[in-house]
Amino acid sequence: MPTLSDERFEAYLKQFRPLDPEPLPAAEPSIRARRTFVLRTWATAGAAILVLALIMGALTLQIRTPRTRIGETIGNVGNPEHIQDGQPLTMRSANALMAKSPSFKAMVDDMAFRSKAVPLPKGKRSAVAVLGEEKIKL
Amino acid sequence: MRRADGHADEIEFLYRQHGPALLLFAQAVTGERGRAQDAVHQVFLKLIEKGSLSKVVDKKAYLFACVRNAALNEGKLRARDAPLDPDSAWFSPPDRDYAGEQNLRHALGALPNDQRQVMVLHVWGELTFSQISDLLNLSSNTVASRYRYALAKLRDSMFAKENYCANS
Repeated sequence: MPTLSDERFEAYLKQFRPLDPEPLPAAEPSIRARRTFVLRTWATAGAAILVLALIMGALTLQIRTPRTRIGETIGNVGNPEHIQDGQPLTMRSANALMAKSPSFKAMVDDMAFRSKAVPLPKGKRSAVAVLGEEKIKL
Repeated sequence: MRRADGHADEIEFLYRQHGPALLLFAQAVTGERGRAQDAVHQVFLKLIEKGSLSKVVDKKAYLFACVRNAALNEGKLRARDAPLDPDSAWFSPPDRDYAGEQNLRHALGALPNDQRQVMVLHVWGELTFSQISDLLNLSSNTVASRYRYALAKLRDSMFAKENYCANS
């Protein structure tokens, strides 16, 4: 190659373009921040729903527990010939059933739990019904 | 908010416009692409974060000065006058002339650091000798003289190699 003049050599050198730098990292955190915000929103909503479900469950248990205890007390005091609805299964009642039932299958059928809605006194409402009517904003 | 967005847009525009030459210059100072990239990023991130370029008259020269300072500060923390990385490309060559790119890179690497900086600033940074003299705190005559030496050495080095390759 012949020796070039300064101008032509400069022009030759300028044909070599410097490589582009990597993108500024400032653009990446903005995308990350947006993703994090969306994830956080979903996580917060999920956690709120979970907490609400736990509160509802706890309230339901609280309402049922005293009634069960009363039923248990009454059932155990009386003649346990068969399990009353809403009464818990005890060893005593199970033994009584086993002794009286004509077959094992019949005994198991009698032991089966049957749910029954307990009628509330007039003018009173269950806490679940009250909570169900409330508009809870998340 | 709108003002901040406009400011960020201006910085991004300057990064797109001068980023390649600034990176090359930082490479000429540090000798290593990773460190050069860090220096350039450092400057632009600082500008985005709190800097304002509205009062700067010559923005391009200012950016080169900032990158030089960042690269030198970075260099102080590590060994100075580190050898240039021989393997990573510095340029996108014309017509896929990768041998020419390697040849140019080696010839640039063989130049003294002060001449290499002047060379890069003038040819690829497109700064005038006056701008370079302000940036490097040298007289314009010194800058012009360094440039002439660098250009002659570069040409000799590149064409000597090509002639050697052609003859062998």
